[in-house]
Amino acid sequence: MSTNLSPRPKFPLFCGISGKDLSPKTRYKCMRNSLLIVMLAITIIPLSVASGLNFIQYQQLLREDSQTNARWNAESARATINAYLEKMEAAITVVIDTYSFEDLSDIKKLELIFKQLKKEHQGLVDLSVVGPDGIQSAYVGPYRLAGKDYSDSLWFHKALARRMYVSEVFTGFRNMPHFVVAASKKDSYSEQYWVLRASIDTETLDRFLAKADTEVLEDIFLINDSGILQSSSRYHGGPMEDFRLSRKPKQNDILIFEEMRGDSSFYRAVSRIPNTPWLLVLDQQGAEARKIWHSFKARQLFTLAICFLISGGVVFWLARFLAGKFREADEARDRILSETEHSNKLASIGRLAAGVAHEINNPLAIIGEKAGLMQDLVGLDQDFRYREKFLNQLASLQNAVGRARTITHRLLGFARRMEPSLTVVQLNEIVQEVLSFLEKEAAYRNIDVFLQLQKDLPVIMADHGQLQQVFLNVINNAIDAIRSDGAIHITSSRENNKTVMVAISDTGPGIAPEIMKNIFEPFFTTKANEERKGTGLGLSITYGIVQKLGGEIEVSSEVGVGTTFIISFPIYSGGESDDRA
Amino acid sequence: MTERRILIVDDELEFGSTLAERLELRGFTAKAVGGAGEAVTLLASGWAPDVVVLDLMMPGVDGLATLDLIKQHDPRIQVIILTGHGSTESGIVGMQRGLFDYLMKPVDIGELIARINEAAAQ
Repeated sequence: MSTNLSPRPKFPLFCGISGKDLSPKTRYKCMRNSLLIVMLAITIIPLSVASGLNFIQYQQLLREDSQTNARWNAESARATINAYLEKMEAAITVVIDTYSFEDLSDIKKLELIFKQLKKEHQGLVDLSVVGPDGIQSAYVGPYRLAGKDYSDSLWFHKALARRMYVSEVFTGFRNMPHFVVAASKKDSYSEQYWVLRASIDTETLDRFLAKADTEVLEDIFLINDSGILQSSSRYHGGPMEDFRLSRKPKQNDILIFEEMRGDSSFYRAVSRIPNTPWLLVLDQQGAEARKIWHSFKARQLFTLAICFLISGGVVFWLARFLAGKFREADEARDRILSETEHSNKLASIGRLAAGVAHEINNPLAIIGEKAGLMQDLVGLDQDFRYREKFLNQLASLQNAVGRARTITHRLLGFARRMEPSLTVVQLNEIVQEVLSFLEKEAAYRNIDVFLQLQKDLPVIMADHGQLQQVFLNVINNAIDAIRSDGAIHITSSRENNKTVMVAISDTGPGIAPEIMKNIFEPFFTTKANEERKGTGLGLSITYGIVQKLGGEIEVSSEVGVGTTFIISFPIYSGGESDDRA
Repeated sequence: MTERRILIVDDELEFGSTLAERLELRGFTAKAVGGAGEAVTLLASGWAPDVVVLDLMMPGVDGLATLDLIKQHDPRIQVIILTGHGSTESGIVGMQRGLFDYLMKPVDIGELIARINEAAAQ
């Protein structure tokens, strides 16, 4: 086992393509984390970018929509005020064109006209006639203003200078904010201009402006060029109060710009009302303050969160799945490589063993024959002084030759690559045959053998002799492992639809993990110093035979508990069971 | 029993001559030669063995080719291969070409004599 490993990072990431210095567990964790990060990045980044662009685009659209809406509302409000004023101007024009200064100075006539006008024009407070000298000659209305002198009033002079005049809002003699619509006419007798004046309260303006109110409207009011409020404002007070406008439109354009009130922005539309001293100011909610924007944001965030959750979940699962698949593939590759390596090693050692055995057998044969000849000659000479001693020594020599021959013949047996002679075989029978060889040995060592063989065990196709060798090796190893006083359990069963298996468990000392990886290697033995010495070929031969017969051999062991060998073979599809047959 | 004649063909002359001597001690007439050439010459000279004990791996003409030469000379001569090489395939091929038996070195003299007697009795 390799021990030269790098310290394990807490969250291993991008640890190199090979990750050779890391433990396999950390390497696959690293791979999983790297996959997770990369896949999250390639799913979440485009999703976030698309969502962000969508967000910005929708915000832009909403801003444009808000500005268009503000423009449309301002135009609508301006048209409403305009229509009212035009109607009032038309009425005043009709009156002044129809009647003379003399006619209208008649208070009764003026009263009749006022009543008629008031029916048609809401907000009309009073109606008066002002002579060329600025003295109000006739007045109909709620105030006591008859005889008032307007010769110093700005509106009077502007009315004289123009045919029609709409004044700014002022308080005047009545001390109430109002504005006037005044028309002037030249008297045919005196050749002097006189004025017909209609006063209108500012609430009328408020009422008309209120018609423009919508869900997104924050404020709408009128101001003059001096920054004096001409109507009531929700945020800036009543008429005649000061208001500072940052930008003013040129001519009759509608100017729209963004302003801040506290933390929130809003759009301000400013427009001049033609033929008046007024500017219409309309404040409308900013795009970000609109309900539709909040609802869009909530939907967007919810969708994004759901997408993140789903893609995160899928990516997490996928990363685990892929890392698992990589691991399985790597493990399968390692297993195949290891098996191939083992097979190649067996083949090489087989060739080597055959060569060695052959080379040794010849000199061994010479030794054997020479010793034999000496035995023959000494045996013939009855008078030889050292006859017995020589014969004993030569017998020992022959004995040693015999032992060496056993080893070389076993080596050649290992190397032999003959195709097995396949017949239908019942594993239970093989196990019982092998046990018949070994039961005396087991009994001598006080080892109990427990058999649990499945009846109707399906047959397999194998070489009878080679199978005997397999079980002889494994059971013999179990006996050697126990030494004395223990038990061997042998179980046979049908593993699944395709394989049958025999498990051989012993109560021996178990195999240490560092030895376990070598037990199928040729010439690997743990019995080198023991009474029953091993060649280290038994399990290696067993492994080779099982592989050749298409089977598998697995071993599990726990030190101090025992060892279990499980040998499985494919079921022969041509027949089910000897017992059934 | 007539004296049986045994020819030992083995490139390991130490082995062949020693084995021949041991067989002589047991009442056989045995000769040892070092290869196929000497064996064929001996046979051509008129010395006819009952059984040939033949090595398999020899330089030049190997055991199987020597077997063919012997069988061509006289098919009645029985041949036993005695080799240090454990190739069962060679044994099978030899049997197909008229080989009597196939033994592994080192061999017990008793077993070899038993096989020789069986072969000679054929």
